[in-house]
Amino acid sequence: MPLASLPVLRHPTAYDMQRALLHAPQLAPRDYHHIKAAPLSGALGAEVTGVDLAGLGASALAEIADALSDHLVLVFPGQALAPAGQIAFARRLGPVKTWPYARPMPGYPELTELVSGPSDIHNFGGGWHTDSSTFPRPPAFTVLQCIEGPDAGGDTSFANQYLAWESLPEAVRGALAGLRLIHATSKGFGDHSRSTGSSHVTTTPVLVPAEHEGLESSHPVARTHPVTGRKALYVNAGFADRFDGWSPHQSQPLLDALAAHGGIPEFTCRVRWRPGTLVVWDNRCCLHYAHNDYAGQRRVMRRAVVEGEVPL
Amino acid sequence: MPGYVSTFQYQSAISHAPQFAPRSYRHFTVSPITGAMGADVEGIDLATASDAAIAELEQALVDHLALMIRDQSLEPAQQIAFANRLGRAFPWPFAREMEGYPEITELIQEPGDKYAFGGTWHSDSCNFEKPPKYTMLYCVECPPVGGDTGFSNQYLAWESLDPKLRAELEDVRTVASAELGYGTGSQDAEVLANATTKVTWNPELNHETLHPLARTHPVTGRKALYTCDSFTARFEGKTQEESLPLLRKLWAHAVTPEFTCRLRWKPGSLAIWDNRCCMHYAHSDYPGHRRHMRRIVVEGERPV
Repeated sequence: MPLASLPVLRHPTAYDMQRALLHAPQLAPRDYHHIKAAPLSGALGAEVTGVDLAGLGASALAEIADALSDHLVLVFPGQALAPAGQIAFARRLGPVKTWPYARPMPGYPELTELVSGPSDIHNFGGGWHTDSSTFPRPPAFTVLQCIEGPDAGGDTSFANQYLAWESLPEAVRGALAGLRLIHATSKGFGDHSRSTGSSHVTTTPVLVPAEHEGLESSHPVARTHPVTGRKALYVNAGFADRFDGWSPHQSQPLLDALAAHGGIPEFTCRVRWRPGTLVVWDNRCCLHYAHNDYAGQRRVMRRAVVEGEVPL
Repeated sequence: MPGYVSTFQYQSAISHAPQFAPRSYRHFTVSPITGAMGADVEGIDLATASDAAIAELEQALVDHLALMIRDQSLEPAQQIAFANRLGRAFPWPFAREMEGYPEITELIQEPGDKYAFGGTWHSDSCNFEKPPKYTMLYCVECPPVGGDTGFSNQYLAWESLDPKLRAELEDVRTVASAELGYGTGSQDAEVLANATTKVTWNPELNHETLHPLARTHPVTGRKALYTCDSFTARFEGKTQEESLPLLRKLWAHAVTPEFTCRLRWKPGSLAIWDNRCCMHYAHSDYPGHRRHMRRIVVEGERPV
């Protein structure tokens, strides 16, 4: 299939969709001894109970790792971890460093406190995205905890990008397989990094350090997950500037089509937060979207990111 | 959507939503689901509810657009009786009627089915001259996980458009086509062959209908965007080719995640929604499982 014919992708037929979904462990979760995992939708996500993340044994941790591989997003209600506890849990999943694009939480450089004030216009993390894909080694996991939030509103949605990849027609997958995307910090955060005035609409501004302003990384369009070996669509539309060897202008129609495909409702789940809920997701195989539907309300979240591999 | 939507406009639209400050109800409890729309309702028995309780329920529907009413136990005749308290339940002409209960359409997806009934963003039967104001869906059986229904608030979709664009579109009408929504070309034939509940197309029922792009809700007086890609063929007086670029932008805008909620089913739950101001989407993410719903539509007004 010539690449030029790709830009308009049709909604996958029910066959393509169902074939992909049939492999999801959502409808047949494993048996666990240390945790309980209740899937959230047919596509991805599970609520995990029966475990205290502050005092996690090695075998419970291994089960959490299995559950993350199976469900991509784990929701742990009622954890209410102190900052040090959240960092310690994140470290069990891999190396934790300071995220360089926002002020770190005072005293806890590994955490970013994401605060939305009642009069904020923009939110942090709107639009379907995977975290920090402009880094050469984007974070494998994000560990986000809700400290304070509205009764209704401020959900986070997730989209399974294994399913997005697997539900593409075979010929399209073949055409995309060798393609790479250039992810550019300036595309997603360009306005923020230049406009110091943005703080009047956002309590937590993105502040791109000078040495990151020109940062670009080339990653495969379909990346292979290092644990599951499955391919996932890795298109971060807000940051993907162009296909390697194409101009941004040439790239945009196909980028738009792939971005729309990645967010098809059948690939998604939606998570509602309560204070004390902690969520871990795998950025290598899912997208997420922070719903900005709580005007007039205050919301406070704390985030740690766990370093990942160079995408292959 | 640069040039089409203003974030400020969106925020002012959503801060008026009753999702953050629900009324107090005397006959049941109402728990909003998201900042955009939707609420869980508990503590009412639809089979025995008083007139005052039904009036309150309609008020909750005005405020929240879609309600998921939990823990019901309704026989078909009781569901029809409840529907007739809200208006006129009528037989839906595009699928087989439930035997003995013509007002009910049974929506059944068997484990091997490949077709999801309602698997696009749409407002029910918006090709009708008088489309149903309410749809109610009663869950008889559902998979342990999957099969949610998504909803999108079309007041917010309209109110968050750029004011200049709204002024241009205020008096525009669209052409809805029955054939586009229900015709033989609307579904993949191979998929339809593997469907338990099919849309039954009859060319004699084909018609085109003109509706305002922004319809005014008869109760609230608010305008809501009223178009979807399943039924809208074009703008009045324009070709499809001329219409599609703007229509596609409006359809994408109409389902901005900030306007939506997602409701999860349990057997015995009944959802009811207002087609005049919201769209919905049936998630088909449960292959290998059976889902059995009973649907009734309640007649509405001619959109103005």
